[in-house]
Amino acid sequence: MTQADDRLKALFAQDEPAVRDTVFSTTVMEKVMRRRFQEDVAMLSAVSSVGAGALWFVWPMLQQALVAVSQGLAPALGAVALAACVVLVVSARPDRALGLES
Amino acid sequence: MSPASLDEALVAAAQSGSTEAFSRLVERHQQALRAFLRRTCGDWAQADDLAQETFLAAWSRIGRLKAGASVRSWLCGIGYNKHLTAVRSAGRERARGASYEADRDETADAAPEDKLALERAMAGLPEEQRACVALCLAADFSHAEAAEALNMPLGTVKSHVTRGRARLLQALGVSDDAG
Repeated sequence: MTQADDRLKALFAQDEPAVRDTVFSTTVMEKVMRRRFQEDVAMLSAVSSVGAGALWFVWPMLQQALVAVSQGLAPALGAVALAACVVLVVSARPDRALGLES
Repeated sequence: MSPASLDEALVAAAQSGSTEAFSRLVERHQQALRAFLRRTCGDWAQADDLAQETFLAAWSRIGRLKAGASVRSWLCGIGYNKHLTAVRSAGRERARGASYEADRDETADAAPEDKLALERAMAGLPEEQRACVALCLAADFSHAEAAEALNMPLGTVKSHVTRGRARLLQALGVSDDAG
């Protein structure tokens, strides 16, 4: 390297930014995190829209199935709820009856 | 751990979605990228804006960076393309000369007249020549690294550096055989 190159390099070096610039780095990372958040929101919105569309499409069939299942399960669910109430009343200690006592 | 292998590890982590690793890449390379953009576009505020845009683009494209590739060259390449886009879209080329000098911090200059002469000479170089000079003469890039970063043929880079160097030395009144 010649003296001329050294002189050029020394003059260029006066324009060097700081080796560490936390303000710049923080600004960049804020923008990166914002971008990431926007991408996450966009993806969730897209997935939700597709899910809602699929549900709307299958709802007529799904509705019939749900009605049939709920009619079949209603007596069983009623019995379970009644049994739970009886246990709670008899024991008078809901936490002990549910096994939550420490 | 060598700087290159540390970069490689950080890139691998960032490719897996680690923002912490990417943050360290920003810290490690912000100086080189901003210095290159300052010398290439002349407007310091615009250079920092471009550097921020460059890092945002790098975050989006980090998955495409090949293992072992130079992060510094890759970032300078993205930054240079952003600069060219800004120049073309905003017509900043004509305003460049004025803004180049307006944003300078003259307080720290040891030899203001030399600095001013260098800045004027840099502003007078063609776009591609200035980018080659900024990488090879100011940032210690090899010709091959600069060719890769700027997406130019190696011979073109060498030619730009030789001509640019001659014009800068002429502007400074320095003889080429001074060494």
